[in-house]
Amino acid sequence: MNAILSNGRGKSFNNEQPTYAMERRSFIKRSALWSAGTFALNQIPVNLLAGSQQLQWLAATANTDKVLVLIQLHGGNDGLNAVIPVSQYAAYYNLRPNVAIPDNGLRRYLTLDGTLPAGSQVGLHPDMTGLKALYDQGKVAIVQGVSYENSGQSHFRSRDIWYMGGDADDYLGSGWMGRYLQTRYPDYPDAYPTPNMPDPPGLEIGRGVSLAFHREDGIPTSISIDNPDQFYGLVKSVGGEPPAEVANTHYGQELAYIIGMEKNANRYAERLKEVFDRGSNSPGVTYPEKYPFNAPAGSLKNPLSAQLRLVARLLSGGCKTRIFLAKIGGFDTHAQQVESYNPTMGKHAALLYHISAAVKAFQDDLKGLGLEDRVVGATFSEFGRRPQSNGSFGTDHGTAAPMFIFGKNVNAGVVGANPDLSNLSRGNLPEQHDYRQVFTTLLQDWMGAPDEAMASTLFADFLTQKLPLVSDGKVITGEPSFVDARFRLDSCYPNPAKGSTTFSYYLNTPAHTTLRLYDTNGRPVREVVNEPQPAGTHRVTADLSGLAPGAYVYRIEAGLLKAAKTLVVK
Amino acid sequence: MASLDPVSGALGRKAAAHLLRRTTFGPRKRDIDQFATLSADQALAQLFQTVPVPPSPLPFPKDEDGGDGLAQEYFRGWAVEGMRQSGNSAGEKLTFFLHTHFTTIRGVVDRSGALYYQNVLLRQYALGNLRELARKICVDNAMLVLLDGRLNEAGSPNENYAREFFELYTIGKGPQTAADNFTNYTELDIQQAARVFSGYKNDDTYANLDPDTGLPTGILKVDQHDAGTKQFSAAFGNRTVAPIAKQGNQATPAAALDELDQLVTMVFDQPATARHLCRKVYRFFVYYDITEEIERDIIVPLGALLQSSGYELRPVLEKLFRSQHFYDLDNGVDTDDNRGAIIKSPLDLVLGTLRYFNVALPTETAALYGEAYPSLMRHMEDQGMIFYEPFDVAGYDAYHQEPGYHRNWISANFLARRYEFAALLMKTDMPFHGKLDIIGHVRDPQNITDPANPEQMVREFVDNLLPEVIKPERFNYFLNDLLLDNLSVFNWQAEWNAYLRTGDDAAVRGQLEKLTNAILQSPEYQLF
Repeated sequence: MNAILSNGRGKSFNNEQPTYAMERRSFIKRSALWSAGTFALNQIPVNLLAGSQQLQWLAATANTDKVLVLIQLHGGNDGLNAVIPVSQYAAYYNLRPNVAIPDNGLRRYLTLDGTLPAGSQVGLHPDMTGLKALYDQGKVAIVQGVSYENSGQSHFRSRDIWYMGGDADDYLGSGWMGRYLQTRYPDYPDAYPTPNMPDPPGLEIGRGVSLAFHREDGIPTSISIDNPDQFYGLVKSVGGEPPAEVANTHYGQELAYIIGMEKNANRYAERLKEVFDRGSNSPGVTYPEKYPFNAPAGSLKNPLSAQLRLVARLLSGGCKTRIFLAKIGGFDTHAQQVESYNPTMGKHAALLYHISAAVKAFQDDLKGLGLEDRVVGATFSEFGRRPQSNGSFGTDHGTAAPMFIFGKNVNAGVVGANPDLSNLSRGNLPEQHDYRQVFTTLLQDWMGAPDEAMASTLFADFLTQKLPLVSDGKVITGEPSFVDARFRLDSCYPNPAKGSTTFSYYLNTPAHTTLRLYDTNGRPVREVVNEPQPAGTHRVTADLSGLAPGAYVYRIEAGLLKAAKTLVVK
Repeated sequence: MASLDPVSGALGRKAAAHLLRRTTFGPRKRDIDQFATLSADQALAQLFQTVPVPPSPLPFPKDEDGGDGLAQEYFRGWAVEGMRQSGNSAGEKLTFFLHTHFTTIRGVVDRSGALYYQNVLLRQYALGNLRELARKICVDNAMLVLLDGRLNEAGSPNENYAREFFELYTIGKGPQTAADNFTNYTELDIQQAARVFSGYKNDDTYANLDPDTGLPTGILKVDQHDAGTKQFSAAFGNRTVAPIAKQGNQATPAAALDELDQLVTMVFDQPATARHLCRKVYRFFVYYDITEEIERDIIVPLGALLQSSGYELRPVLEKLFRSQHFYDLDNGVDTDDNRGAIIKSPLDLVLGTLRYFNVALPTETAALYGEAYPSLMRHMEDQGMIFYEPFDVAGYDAYHQEPGYHRNWISANFLARRYEFAALLMKTDMPFHGKLDIIGHVRDPQNITDPANPEQMVREFVDNLLPEVIKPERFNYFLNDLLLDNLSVFNWQAEWNAYLRTGDDAAVRGQLEKLTNAILQSPEYQLF
């Protein structure tokens, strides 16, 4: 007999919880998830599948190629210095003059997108050039003002709420990733691995296990790993035979937990080493190792690069894990968030660089590996920080903050407007979006979770409030693509022209720009522009004298973008 | 129902082992034997005796470039050395408990002096008064750095410490009833407390001493202290805290310090504070899950006792460690709910193993603190505990993080590393030169009565190393599959006698190491 007992914990008092929280929890325990057979997976009722393991795999592993990579920013990220509210710059500056990112000079904020409506105009921290480049390629969405109702300012509680996927007054013993993955892989871990799901459904990069992947009972749906090679060698070399039976006591429950974790390690160590060894990273992509400028010693090393590089390598080796969780700490910037001599430098600048540069490398890596279509990522933090800075060149705990969603299949853009900084709520930013709207969107529109699974994940209330974050891949004829809409070469005027003509074009991002005139044989005959240019609409008049009458091509190149049109010289 | 009624008579081995495992850094067989004959009262008297702390290697050495890294390493090693040498005294375990509560983070504080003196402060209060300690910690040098108290000035408040003072160190959160109301306290209270805490700077000279403790403490800059009246919320009966004397617009230094007393008194007057602290005690020493029954039968009465004793910790611990509940004797049936139900921290695992097998560490200061302890710290780190470096200011996850609490010590990685540590102990090439000498261990009659008797020997191993009685099949696995290699008892006797005759221990050592490895690398050994 091999009785791994579930942990039937009783109701728990924590800090004198209110009764309603406990009622809510007992409701959750009774809900469909834990009495499988009453809900459907991909519209196929589970009880029909009960006898056929193979069919069950099929149902459970539909859409398995879609992957979600979550990046937790631990400590509470200062959203206002990551995504600067350009449309309210004066109010922004006045609230935090000692930490505000300037709107002029070499280290001014990066204007994200000149085509956004005025009230949505935002800038990125000057060290976020990587994310800006991804945005210009149509691969980044920003969701403004994400929080939850009655958000508290305790790190621990707030982080737990984001992980558990509940309200401010919920006390759930499980995490939303754990509940979602349990709907997809209901008999995990005992019935796994299977041919269709040979990997742990969730993988936490690092060594600990967070609440996020916890199910309501039993061992979590993830395993944590930092180095698959080492892990395999280690797991292979240790441990004996576990006891066959455990008692139904507290002691027995803890014993069962440890035995379950041990079994899981044995189950997955070899497979993860295998996909790790089989996988690789793109040869041309270098992940950033260090912040290239001055910052406190502890902030220089990029802690995300190795994590994201590992994810890409595992995926390229054939890993079928659905949700990856990576982490970066250091965001609790009460003091010295910025350097006293320069608000664009310091701890927070380095952290934003780490995210931006590592995500850019990750995305390039995925592209090189041919995996771009399979992965969407998102950053989140337990809360944002207060708009008003403190006297220590830092910011205190706040509420709402932006999230970055990235990937080829993301609907690039900015969702939501800048917060009204003249109308704060107790000194804090008002919530525009509930965090579960974002996660619901990602689970359903990206991962393909059916409504039933969303109900079991406890996100049913948010199905009607999804956000336009995931592109359906369809191209609408007549609509310019995201990229085209942000880079435009107009017809020159006059055309046909004699003596001179005026070219006009729009750049959404500063770039080294060249505009040259070529004859019909492709030989360059005149250089009109060759210099770094700021974003915006540019007009330049070119002298056409000395050119023989006939057809010419004018071609513009700005960064990665190219366009050409025809000019007739009379 | 869960009962705080006292147990009577001699403890017996089972209860004695449980008490020692939870309140010290791990007993040996002889310690369990000795405590088994004691009554609970006698056992507690012995546990609560103070034992000398190993001399601190002060002054801590500097790095070659003048840095403080090596000194901090010495500090950490010294703190653990105290635990290792603490015998059957609970003082060090209590000091560690207080560190899990009034926690600190080496990487943030980054000062060996401040870390050391805070540790000494916790040690002074290990069996002392929690209210006084909470008052002292408000202006402790390490705490002033950790939670930015040194940046908290009149007119430019920094609420970092004030927030954690309520949430973590004293009263704890109640149900959140509004965005700014946590029942036990409100955002307003945090802001007001931050004003009370304003104006204290950490003192890197460590020359400013607290008259009560004789230990270095922070410095008051009275011109940076907010001298106004602090109005607290209805959660505290709308009480105010204000300086009792002023010089001009400023509070006098004594009045500013007195405000700390007023604030601490106000917060500790609340029964919720006593209960919050008792829950921390319960989770650390008994079990993490506080059910309605435990809340009603254990936490509420212990909280009342803590408050009525003026926040002296000792009476509460005595009540708990004498209780039927602690020994699982209050539920009629032998369900063993509390015995063996806590997952050992890496610290408990490593130290408990070193102590049980009397693994020698170097005695010379530089080797001990410069090599042996840094190596042990790396092992603990691999197992998920960076000593004095919890991930955040709430302390090590295992002592506060829902839902798993102590299960945070176990991930696939951490567990494998725990097992690996046992295996490494048996090898000769451990960098700190300590080795588990299993032959020496079994030849000491205080450990194993008769190594020629394999069944009795395995019984003594599992009875003293594992928290619970194991099933016969499990016992046979250890005895037959591992020690005897499925050969007869007579074979073992012959092998053992051959070793005694020839001095060649290769055969019996191999089998004994296999057995010990299997016991130490078992799920059962992870619990206590």
